[in-house]
Amino acid sequence: MTDMKSLPSPNNPEDALVAVVALRRMADKLERKAVKEAIAQGWSWSQVAEVLGISKQAAHKRHAAHIHDTTSRKG
Amino acid sequence: MFKRVLLRFRDMKTIGKLIAGADEQANIMGEEKPSAEHFVLSALCLEDGTAKRAFNKLRIDSRKFQDAIKTQYDEALSSVGISEQVTEMEPEPIKSDKILHDSQPSGQDLIKSLYTLKKEDKNRPLQGAHVIIVAASIEYGVVPRAFKVLGVDRESLAKAARDELVSI
Repeated sequence: MTDMKSLPSPNNPEDALVAVVALRRMADKLERKAVKEAIAQGWSWSQVAEVLGISKQAAHKRHAAHIHDTTSRKG
Repeated sequence: MFKRVLLRFRDMKTIGKLIAGADEQANIMGEEKPSAEHFVLSALCLEDGTAKRAFNKLRIDSRKFQDAIKTQYDEALSSVGISEQVTEMEPEPIKSDKILHDSQPSGQDLIKSLYTLKKEDKNRPLQGAHVIIVAASIEYGVVPRAFKVLGVDRESLAKAARDELVSI
């Protein structure tokens, strides 16, 4: 676990903000991969949404198009 | 008058190509909406070749710019203790079926600045070099950080792009 003291200091806002952007981008990538895998393993959209802490509609809207596209290409 | 209409028509075609290219670049990199860096990558693919030549004058190209984008993300993540191994996660290309174009704020700002620049330079057709001039003027975000990684002076890049326009 990273020592919080070693994180970019808020006194250097540019480095801190850039780290936030990079973390968000990485989280988005991880979310997309994880949702795709969950659906491939037979999870329902309700289960995915519950774990993500968002509504089923929001989860579906955010991911369904990409997932259906990649699964239909495989299939 | 007719020349002006023709020029505007040509600019609209170029804008269409620029936006479509930026969308494609963003989707390949696993992002839904294009940011300023995706417009730069798209400009480097435009047929006029002016963006590419301006980059080449500073010994950089599309591949080096893409690598620099990744490096600046890796450096930012490493500053919060996230290893390169994690950041090696391959992006999932996105297949977008959206009808209306939408960009990230940095992409929207780039297009607005491009419009302002083009209004001042209304006798020349829109070229990739115009996009590079705008990109070189961005102070914060992925684009200037990528240039920093490459050791590129933004003012020199803007000058190289302006020189390309003068030769048209």
